[in-house]
Amino acid sequence: MTDAHRYAMLLSALPDHGPLFGAKQTPLSRIRLNQRLALLDPEDFACLQTLGALQDWARQDLDQSDTQAVERANRLVPTIAHPFVRDLVIWRLELRTLVAALRRRRRGDAAPNDNRWGFGRWVAQIRRHWHEPGFRLDGAFPWLPEANRLLALDDSLGLERLLLGAAWTRLERLSDGHYFDFEAVVIYVMRWDLIARWTGYRGEAATQRFDELVAAGMTAIALDPITETRP
Amino acid sequence: MNEFVIALGWAGLYGAMALASIGSVIGCAVAGQAAIGAMVDTDSGYGRYLGVSVMPSSQTIYGIVVMFTLQRDVTPENAPALFGIGILCGLALMFSAIRQGQACASAIHASKTKPEIFGLSLAPAAIVEGFAVFAFVFALVLAGNIPG
Repeated sequence: MTDAHRYAMLLSALPDHGPLFGAKQTPLSRIRLNQRLALLDPEDFACLQTLGALQDWARQDLDQSDTQAVERANRLVPTIAHPFVRDLVIWRLELRTLVAALRRRRRGDAAPNDNRWGFGRWVAQIRRHWHEPGFRLDGAFPWLPEANRLLALDDSLGLERLLLGAAWTRLERLSDGHYFDFEAVVIYVMRWDLIARWTGYRGEAATQRFDELVAAGMTAIALDPITETRP
Repeated sequence: MNEFVIALGWAGLYGAMALASIGSVIGCAVAGQAAIGAMVDTDSGYGRYLGVSVMPSSQTIYGIVVMFTLQRDVTPENAPALFGIGILCGLALMFSAIRQGQACASAIHASKTKPEIFGLSLAPAAIVEGFAVFAFVFALVLAGNIPG
């Protein structure tokens, strides 16, 4: 079996995910996805696990400091054997570093004193150009001015949409030439995560609405016995 | 020296079929895996996925026909021709089977999501098959000109 077609079966068993913002739910459940990913070679599966450990918000220890998080990333990233996955993780963590810098500056924080607050090659540059709108990185990250504007407007949903869209576009570009190989699996899983996050926001709103409806329904039930006891 | 030339002749004789079979093995395996994956994800159309996945088998049949056409007493005079036609035809059939398997895997993957493009998605695999047929037919034509 050629390496470029190693995962023909796995990828054909995964449903198409369609566009990010049109999705109402993930193309398959997390349980089903994990069942299908069991077809991966153990090394590739371990690689994907490390990727998840570094980028899934649900798997982050929220009690750890920025320095600890950066140290953890610095420790784990070199252990990723697959160069494609390693580059993808580095890019994602650098993107998060940029967003963290934008948020910190918006909060009124001063420029960090050292480079241990963020991950990647832009940390020193961000610190040097802290007071410039795009940290002089607008060329490398064209979405930075728009992110700045949305942050200034406190438009969290718009910002999230912009960031997820940027990540989606990047993955789309990287998917060129990868159809049935491990890279294609990694891109599928990362896109699945983006859809899960985006549809999850809608889910939270739906849960809130559901709770309101249940509360309204329970009020009606509580009134019914009184109605029935009347002659 | 004559023994070596005769060995090359036998390699050409059997090579057409052997190389084509290697290509069919790889091509059918790739397309077959895609077909199994598509069957896991869909509730219908299993037959056509399997049908497409066996398309790279035809190269082995061409290889067998070429082998029988080339079959004759191998002599130092005809061995170079047997070697040239057999091996080159075998290589053409092998690569066409491998690539056709990949094209079939893509067709299965695409038509699973959009069943309406099933026919069109097979066009690349059919074109690859066309090139295999060229290699096959002209091997037969040239085999007729081999002395002995």
